[in-house]
Order: sequence, then C-alpha cells, then structure tokens
Amino acid sequence: MKKRLTSASPLTWSLYAILLLSFLGSVYFIQHNHGFYGQAIATVTEVSVEETQELSDLYGNEDMLYTQRITGEIRNGEHEGRAIELENEYSLSGANDHEYRTGQDLFVFIDETAGDGANLSGTIDNVKRDQYVLAITWIFILVLLAIGKKQGFYSIVSLALNAVILSYALDIYIRTENANLLMIASVSVLLFTVTSLLLVNGFNEKTYAAIVSTMLGVFAALLLASFAIWTSGGNGLNYEEMQFLSRPYEAVFMAGLFIGSLGAVMDVGITMSASIFTLYEKNPDISIEAMKTSGIDIGKDIMGTMANILFFVYISGSIPMLLLYLSNGATWPFSFSITLSLEIARALAGGLGIVLTIPIGIFTSIFFIKRKRAAQ
Amino acid sequence: MNVLFILAVMLCMAMVMIGGKKGAISFLSLFINFLVLLGTVYMMNDPANDPILWVIIACVIISCVNLFFINGINSTTIAAFLSTVITMVALLLFILFMSDLTMINGFGEEEVDELSLLSLYIGISFAELAAVVIISTIGAITDISISITSPMREVYLHNPGMSRRELVQAGFAIGRDLLGTSTNTLFFAFFGSYLGLLIWFKDLSYSLGDIVNSKIFAAEMLTILCAGIGIALVIPVASWITAFLLTRKK
Repeated sequence: MKKRLTSASPLTWSLYAILLLSFLGSVYFIQHNHGFYGQAIATVTEVSVEETQELSDLYGNEDMLYTQRITGEIRNGEHEGRAIELENEYSLSGANDHEYRTGQDLFVFIDETAGDGANLSGTIDNVKRDQYVLAITWIFILVLLAIGKKQGFYSIVSLALNAVILSYALDIYIRTENANLLMIASVSVLLFTVTSLLLVNGFNEKTYAAIVSTMLGVFAALLLASFAIWTSGGNGLNYEEMQFLSRPYEAVFMAGLFIGSLGAVMDVGITMSASIFTLYEKNPDISIEAMKTSGIDIGKDIMGTMANILFFVYISGSIPMLLLYLSNGATWPFSFSITLSLEIARALAGGLGIVLTIPIGIFTSIFFIKRKRAAQ
Repeated sequence: MNVLFILAVMLCMAMVMIGGKKGAISFLSLFINFLVLLGTVYMMNDPANDPILWVIIACVIISCVNLFFINGINSTTIAAFLSTVITMVALLLFILFMSDLTMINGFGEEEVDELSLLSLYIGISFAELAAVVIISTIGAITDISISITSPMREVYLHNPGMSRRELVQAGFAIGRDLLGTSTNTLFFAFFGSYLGLLIWFKDLSYSLGDIVNSKIFAAEMLTILCAGIGIALVIPVASWITAFLLTRKK
C-alpha cells in the first residue's frame, strides 16, 4: 500500500482529486436541489396511523390497509417553509403503495382551494428518489475502483459510454418517422462491440478477430430467433407485458434480444480469440487441428455458465409479476406465458448466440492467424 | 409449434453438437435451474413463507447446481461455493437496505395501469420481494468465483512456497481481468430487457427529473449497479477464502 502511494503519478493524484471533488459536489447538490424542481416537494415531519383495516379479496388473499396522516414542510416554490397536511393509504404487501417515514422528501400537488388557512393541504405524487440513485451510483463507482483499479475504471467508462450510445440511438429511433429499430440496433451493436472490445483489449488482431466473431454470433442468434418465430407463427410468445408501448413491440422485442445477448456473446468471442492467439503465440508452428481441438475444449467449459448468466438476468425480474398473477387466481401456464415467455425466448436465443460463437470464434481466429502466417 | 419449444430444441442440439457430454450437462443444468426458480416462486406464493429466506435457499441450491453438479465436489468448488454464499448474503443485505430507502417495492405507476384488473393486495410483502434482484447476479457470481478459485489453486500447486498475501494478490489479478467482460455481459443483458421501458420514457419525453425519481428507473438502476457491485465484491471474497483454505492445509 505504502509503495503504491509513493509511486502514484501526479496524473493518478489529480484523478483522485477530481473524483473526490465530483463526489462532494454531487452529494451537496442533490441534498439542496429542491429549487430546481418545478413541482412542490415536502419533507415529512410527522406521521401517524389513523385507521387500520383488514382486507380480503375474492381469491382469499389477506392484507392490511393503513391510513397515514402526514405533516410535511414545503421545501421549494412560493409556499416554501409552510406546513402541509397529507393523507396516505398503504398496505402490508405494498405492491403499489408506501409507508412514509419522517425525513423523507415527497413530490406533492398542493390543493390551493382546500386547507384551513394555517396549513396547506394536498396529495402525494411520488417519492424523491434522486439522492438514493446518486448514492448507489457512487457506491458502485467506488467499489469498482477500489477492487478493480484500472479494470474497474474501464468497466465504468464502458458502461457510461454504452449507455450514451444506446440513449443516442433511441433518440434517433424516436425522432425518425418509420425508422427501422432493427437497423438502428444493428449499427449500435457494432458500435458497442468496437468500443467495448477496443477499450478492454486495445488495437490488435486478437481484438479484430473478437469483433468479427461477436458480430457474426449475435446475428446468428437473431437469425435463429427469427427463424423460430417464423416457423411457429409467433405461437407461444405473449407480448402482454409490452402492451404499454405505442410502438411495434415485436421489433422492440427483437432489438432487445439482439442487444441483450451482445455482452455474453462478446465475452465468448474475446475468450475464444484470446485463448487461440495465446496458443499460436506460444507455439507459432501449431497445427490448425490442434487449435480447433483446444478451442472446442475451452468453449465446452464456458458455454454452460454463460448461458446460465443470461438466463438468471432475464428471469429474475419477472418473479414479482408472476406472483401477482398467480395470487389473482390465474393458472400457472397462463401466468407463465404472460410474464415469462419473452424472457425465456431471450435467454434461449442468447444461449444459442453463445454456443454458436464458439465455432465462429475458432474459425475467425484461425482465419486471422492464417493470414498472419501467409504474410510472414 | 411453440417458439420457446423450437428455441429450446435448437439450443439443446447446438450444445450437444459442440459440447458433447459436457454440452448435455450444461443444458440439463439450465433446465434444473429453471425448475429451482419455479419451485421458489411456488413457495413464495404462500404468504406464510418468508420471500427473503426462499431467495437465499434458491441461491444456495443454484450455486450447488452450478458448482458441484457441473464441476464435481472438490476443494476448488467448495471454496467457490463459500465465496458465492458470503458475497450473496452481503449483497442481499445491501440490496434490501437500499431498496427500502429508495422505496422501489412493487410496481411502478407505469406498470400498474396495465394491472387494473388484478387485485394488488395479495398479502405477499413486495418490499421483501426486492430480494429477487440478487437472483439476477447469481449466475455471474458463481462463474467468477470458480474462475478465481480454480486458477489460484493451480498457481499454488506450481509455487507451493507462496505466502498467503501473494496468493491473495494473484487472486485479485485474476479477478480484475474478468471484471470488464463480466460486467459487460450483465449490463447488455439488462439494456436488452429494459429496452422497451427506455423507448417508452423517451416517447413520453420524460424530463431528467421525472426519470431519475420514477420508481421503475430507480429499480432498474439499483438492479444494474448492484449486479456490478456483486461482481466486484466476489473478487476479494474469493481471493481471501481460497488463499486461507490453501495455506491452512500446510
């Protein structure tokens, strides 16, 4: 530790300083940003439960309903500093309600006509969550930097960069009439792959081979998914959970599948090319056959875990919704098809992309090595 | 014909063709993990069962499947299992604490519009259901812990004179090299599944303030960032535990 501190360059020190300054600045800002919101914000100062009611619905679910009387203090706008009376109903399960506590900031609508003169009256709109979103972002940044050092820094930069590319691509999609989402997603996928892999591995043939195999891998996954949908006429896919979109949701689903499998496919692509290039660098006379065999052996080891990773990411988010349907008397097959069909299709298609990238990665790497050999 | 069935058959064929017996085991473990998740949902559906407890049980079973079923029971997988469980419990406490502060329990107002026909008072605590966020990272956490413990053992076998400190540093170095690609894998998977919501936010031209304070966005951020934190956290945990177990035997 001591050695590292003394050997740290001025550049590292200035990076730490910038980090500390932006940390302090953003924390201070978020604690005092009430004035930047147009909507009134109230800090809860007093809470009392007025009424308790037992509930049971037609499916035999039992719950409790509480009515909270809340006093708050307005923090911004023309009524700043005045007290406001609010009412809140919350349940024990809390699927769509919250129990508020003192010290919390809430967005409120002020009812100008009501109120007893001294205190304002109004309704609660939303919770102010920005300070917590900021807090968790900082914890993420600090943990990744503390443990990952340089690699942690690259992960954060690549996440931020990819989020910006995605946001920009979606802006183009929203603004352009009759835009083809799959076309836009394809261009973004190319940009994501090139920036992420170059950032991690630098400019070399290993990276180029990984980029080519990643692109071929995700397109293969997309193609097979389209094939499966085409042969079955889309039977078994339920777009219910995307119904809120005023967009063709089939295209949104396919684009999501495409982008979602990219990370895993990229991982496999770089693993394959890195290991085959390492074999070649250790023994430049290695036969093509030997490279293929080793490549397949490495691929066998990683395909299960990679497919698993995707599977859990997709499925876990749907569990609360699945429970809601089941508790409302829906049958398992029905609940399953409404809440999980898209996620499982994504996981399976992503898994296909992962598995296919193994041979694709081997052949692409061998192609690049052959070219290198021919050039020598 | 059903899309899911066709995709599953294609995946199974591809895995067996390329991976042989190991491919078949990989596909089988996917299927087992799916059954474990369904079983967990079945248990959670009874309000008398504690969702947090069942999430932990599910994670332990899934780690067993991913580590012991695929790689066999040996000192490497045991070290990986311990690291996974410790990381998971620490991350779970953090997730529950943060989701309670942020109030992201249940569904966003955007989702609730679609659920108007359903009864939302089902007696299952949605605040505790926030624990399922951990399941999204369990695959990645087991993967990294086995990827650290297994080469660490190799390193130690080749250099039996290594001190505990040197071993921990070796573990950190291995873990750091995995950090970039693993976080990328998760980030893109999340980007893909949230694509619909992102488009929707843009369609309604939400302001930055609206987005940051909305429940859905806060919940998504919490999920993505906690996944990243979990991946980073397993690196020191796995390095320390493996170094401890390896040097203790002497």
